[in-house]
Amino acid sequence: MRYTLVFGLLISLLVAGCAPSTTASSDPLPTINPDDFTTLLNTSDVPVVVNIWASWCGPCRSEAPLLREAAETYGSQIRFIGVDVNDTQNGAAAFIAQYGLRLEQYFDPRSSISTALRSTGVPHTLFFAPGGELRFAQHGIIDERTLAVQIDDLLR
Amino acid sequence: MEFTLLAAALLGIAMALAVLRLERVRGVTDRRDLLDLVIGAAVVGLAAGRVAAMILQGTNPLTHPLDLFFIRGGVDAGFASLGSLVFLAWMTRHDFWPTLDLIAPAALSGLAGWHAGCVFRASCAGTVSTLPWAFHDGTVARHPVELYAALLLLGGAAVLVIWGRRLPLGVMASLALTIAAVVRLATEPLRLGLGSSPLPWYGVGAVVGTVGVMIRVISARSRNITDS
Repeated sequence: MRYTLVFGLLISLLVAGCAPSTTASSDPLPTINPDDFTTLLNTSDVPVVVNIWASWCGPCRSEAPLLREAAETYGSQIRFIGVDVNDTQNGAAAFIAQYGLRLEQYFDPRSSISTALRSTGVPHTLFFAPGGELRFAQHGIIDERTLAVQIDDLLR
Repeated sequence: MEFTLLAAALLGIAMALAVLRLERVRGVTDRRDLLDLVIGAAVVGLAAGRVAAMILQGTNPLTHPLDLFFIRGGVDAGFASLGSLVFLAWMTRHDFWPTLDLIAPAALSGLAGWHAGCVFRASCAGTVSTLPWAFHDGTVARHPVELYAALLLLGGAAVLVIWGRRLPLGVMASLALTIAAVVRLATEPLRLGLGSSPLPWYGVGAVVGTVGVMIRVISARSRNITDS
């Protein structure tokens, strides 16, 4: 029985592993300099959620579906921006295609934007009120409850 | 940081350990493997729930095996509960109801500890509240919903510890399942989320627990009538 359970688990994992892979989009992500990014935040008349991520980052994979869901639900009221740091365009495109992260995305290969935002690692999610006031910053992976509460705070 | 989750898990296990210790002091049992059962069920449940969540989120567990440890990225509550229950059922198959009855208050206390761990993760907040004990977590005061859940679960565990042994065999375990599910159902409206709340799973848990209580009570009564 024990062997049957282990065998069943292995088969399940193999079936999951055989899922079709996603194809990467060929459009490269745009770059933006830190000053322009800060201006973008300061002149926004809607709240902004900035997620700093990288395709090689494990926690970023875990939170990507949450951010996609949040962007799909609140995209008309909040501006969701992704900043891909220390990455390659191919890696970024594959990640975006795999998780369907159709947010406004910027490519930051030298981490200049994340440095300007005083980010020390990935993932890092920042919540800005209209006008650029930083309301909350989540260092590390964000969970559904925290994301929902911070979005609710931004919309009040 | 994931260390905050570790602290929450340790708190949960410590509470379960304390309840088991109390039961042992009161002479209910001299089993030494109960803590192993509790920890085993917790680990199997977490692993099953995390693997399920990864697959449902589109992350392949084979190509990204280390993602299994990013518990905060999501644990599917339904599959986690099923994993724990299957583990417990298999490990206690020769002494099923007495063992489950003994573990029941410990499991509720462990769940209470897990919910109270929101203090470490700064994620206790729920919907907006004007009640005096609501706390400010941003721009407005909010219900400390996870602390409500922790207190209710702890209360349920206390009730089972105090009065549970008067109940027929198996009722305590079924009652614990009902309490856990009902506490989640009752507190869920006070939580904010992105629509992934597993309410149907909690509903199923409440129904299965209640049916279990009824079956065990009826079976105990019919046995008493036959004996007399």
